[in-house]
Amino acid sequence: MNSATMDNEPILKVDKLKTSFKTERGKVTAVDGVSFDLLKGEILGIVGESGCGKSATAQSILRLYDEKQAIHEGEIWFEGKELLSLRPPEMDKVRGNDISMIFQDPLSSLNPVFTIGNQIAEAILIHKSISKREAYARVLELLRLTGIPAPEKRINEYPHELSGGMRQRVMIAMALACESKIMIADEPTTALDVTIQAQIMSMIVELNQKLDMGVILITHDLGVVAEVCTRVVVMYLGQVVEEADVENLFTRPLHPYTQGLMKSIPQLDCDRSKPLLVIEGTVPSLHQIPEGCRFATRCPFADDLCRSKMPPMEQYAPGQRARCWHAETISKKGEAIRAWT
Amino acid sequence: MKTYLLKRLLSAIPVLFIVSTIVFLILQMTPGDPALVILGQEATLEEVEDLRQQLKLDRPIYEQYFNWLFNALQGDLGESYFMNDSVLEAILSHLGPTISLGILAEIIAIALAIPLGILAARRKGTLTDQSVMTFSLLGMSIPNFLLSLFLILVFSVFWRLLPVAGYKPLGAGLWEHLKYLLLPAFALGTAHAALIARMTRSAMLEVLNANYIKTARAKGVKEKWVIYKHALRNAFLPILTVIGQSFLGLMGGTAIVETIFAIPGIGQLIVNGVMRRDYAIVQGAVLYVTFAFVFINLAVDMLYGIVNPQVRLDNKK
Amino acid sequence: MTISSESIDLHAVKSALKKEQNKILWRQIMTNGSLVVGFVIIAFLILVALFGPLLMKHDPNTMDVLNRFAAPSADHWFGTDNLGRDVLARVIYGARISMGIGVVVAIIASMSGLIVGIYSSYYKWLDHLLMRLSDGIMAFPGLLLALALMAALGGQASNVVIAVSIVATPYIARVVRSEALALKEQTFVEATRALGASDSRIIWQHIAPNTLSSLIVQATFIFAEAIIVEAALSFLGAGIPPPAPSWGNILSDGKTYIYKAWWMTFFPGMTITLAIIGLNLFGDGLRDLLDPHVSKAKNNE
Repeated sequence: MNSATMDNEPILKVDKLKTSFKTERGKVTAVDGVSFDLLKGEILGIVGESGCGKSATAQSILRLYDEKQAIHEGEIWFEGKELLSLRPPEMDKVRGNDISMIFQDPLSSLNPVFTIGNQIAEAILIHKSISKREAYARVLELLRLTGIPAPEKRINEYPHELSGGMRQRVMIAMALACESKIMIADEPTTALDVTIQAQIMSMIVELNQKLDMGVILITHDLGVVAEVCTRVVVMYLGQVVEEADVENLFTRPLHPYTQGLMKSIPQLDCDRSKPLLVIEGTVPSLHQIPEGCRFATRCPFADDLCRSKMPPMEQYAPGQRARCWHAETISKKGEAIRAWT
Repeated sequence: MKTYLLKRLLSAIPVLFIVSTIVFLILQMTPGDPALVILGQEATLEEVEDLRQQLKLDRPIYEQYFNWLFNALQGDLGESYFMNDSVLEAILSHLGPTISLGILAEIIAIALAIPLGILAARRKGTLTDQSVMTFSLLGMSIPNFLLSLFLILVFSVFWRLLPVAGYKPLGAGLWEHLKYLLLPAFALGTAHAALIARMTRSAMLEVLNANYIKTARAKGVKEKWVIYKHALRNAFLPILTVIGQSFLGLMGGTAIVETIFAIPGIGQLIVNGVMRRDYAIVQGAVLYVTFAFVFINLAVDMLYGIVNPQVRLDNKK
Repeated sequence: MTISSESIDLHAVKSALKKEQNKILWRQIMTNGSLVVGFVIIAFLILVALFGPLLMKHDPNTMDVLNRFAAPSADHWFGTDNLGRDVLARVIYGARISMGIGVVVAIIASMSGLIVGIYSSYYKWLDHLLMRLSDGIMAFPGLLLALALMAALGGQASNVVIAVSIVATPYIARVVRSEALALKEQTFVEATRALGASDSRIIWQHIAPNTLSSLIVQATFIFAEAIIVEAALSFLGAGIPPPAPSWGNILSDGKTYIYKAWWMTFFPGMTITLAIIGLNLFGDGLRDLLDPHVSKAKNNE
């Protein structure tokens, strides 16, 4: 399926990452104590609803936020370096080079006044001291690698002259420019047509296998996760609530939120007379985070313990961790999932 | 692109027409007989009549107008009533100082405004930002002739650094030439610097929020390049528009500044012409100024097309 | 669920609502820095212009030949000019003249601009005609046009008003026209027409009132411009004839004697600057207050 290798060493280690923003209404912590590892060669999915902090986590890894407004705590380890403590010039060297990122909307993510050739070449020239000619040759290579037809022509075109799918391929080409060890893909296919989505995703998988490049895939689309990811991290309101291999996540989710997500995916063969499962309530605002377990306000299993004390992340099954006081009992009782219906 | 340019040129024609008509009418309404003024109070009635016939001042208005228009289209704007030149010569000889002044003023304005605007955008919300905004408000509020007077007070009266008035052409040496133009250029340029700075700031703020800036940072582009290469290039469009429009206003403001600093430019030519009822000069010079305005507008639009590839490619979606 | 009319006092609800709205409006006004500061400055200047002469010990026209070119002192706060006249008194009287002209121009230009703008927006053929004319007027520098008009009409206060109003009208007309054009497309206009309202009624009772907020903001800026243009005209000798102490005249005298008496330039200059700053601030503040779109955009900055 994908290259989950025997080699289990993490290439990226995020340890209790906390990112807070100063806003007019006070300090908001969008990422609250998030920890996970990215193992060599794997595709790690980060899923959650809008506002759960998955994008913020990704951008924090590359320190893309203006650090006058955003405060980071915790540690991020990559190749023996702690990224949050690097000085800006050193961090510049990591970005685009060792770790690259692609974004959701390829049209607005590409600079409209420069040709795509120029933009991809820039990604190379910043980090490698080679001649312009060599850089442009590499650009052609990358365009071919990402399946863009007639690259010699495209190289001089502007972003608005390309289709959505091709623009995303260009973004991927930029991300591959320096043969990064890790690519962070922040909802890469959300803004694209379904058929193009499939193409882009399969290209990402192919690149992961061919180039042995670690991928952090941020998405809210569980279907994509099932297809493509090795392991998954589920986030809710700034925290990780579950971490598991993709199979276990779908077959035996431990955290009630994950269970709810799984149950609310419409199945092709489901009983259409029954209403779709909806997780009651709405996500609390980041300005008014509830006491205790953050999911307690919407959880059918919540009790006083849940509402008063924050559960820690614990391992309840091999390779599977969850942040829930009752995960153990829920996992033992298979009927728990039925409790959602 | 070509059709667009052609359309713009064509739409300028009615404007020129209207402007020349307005000026002509106003001048006709003006009391005072140029012939009388030229010849002086002691002239006999006959002499005045003769001159009037010579200058064709006795013909009906519409005939005078069409005569003038006809000649103008062929490049003959007539003879000045008071100076010994043809109007065309007078305009051309007065062009140099105004152009020097205008360019210097614009250079000063841009050189001040864009870095300040970028600074304010980068330090948004801080004291630096607020100071820049306050200064720009001041700069926009003080009328240029007042600023001229204040500058003279400071730099010519209190600190005898620069001359109060006068003009030396380029031939006399660069510093000599600039010496006389510095204060007026500053007076003219300040209001425009303020406008340009504000526009730079807001354009940069908007651009810095864009996704492609995030991409540039994610690629590892150094912050300095993010601002000056990626952001400024995109922010430049609206900034250029403001520069173009302000340049027009700047050229208009030269009249009074030239008068204060005794710079023999077109502005002063027009002011003197009006005061002396030198119809020919005023008509010719105003026509020239209007034409220059239209032309500059067009040039700015063309520049816009070059800077923004989307416009250049003529609506390819 | 039915609501009985006795259980709710409609009148009380309405007046409570009104009080609440007024409170919100008041808060909006008070937190609008530009508006408040601008207003204070303008109010101060207007008060001085109106009541200053009562408090002044000197008269703007009395010449004290022995005391010419006196530097600022306790007796003459702004010093005296080349004829020994008290500069402060002249500046205060000048305020009446210059600001007076400014106000009148703003009012006249507003009225004519409103008419031109509204009718242009409504009748296509009129639009072409009037807008071409406006383009012509706006095509070259306002000061020059005003200058030419003054030469034609003669140097008097009333002509200054006429000349500057002519120059200012197109700007207001444009603003009103673009507002009116947008309003015309809105459904309430269609609805009113469907009810059988005449053009005139639609124009004056429905469209015009909605253009007022933009109009007032623009008029404030025209007020400022008018002060500047009048000063420039008088400075060049084409405006209010001396010895009337319009601000422009005082500056003109000041320029002649700039080496001898800096106060003749400095104080009138400062006063004009203050007036313009006050008006610009007020206009900005007013625009923020009255135009919700602008204030939202500003909040996003």
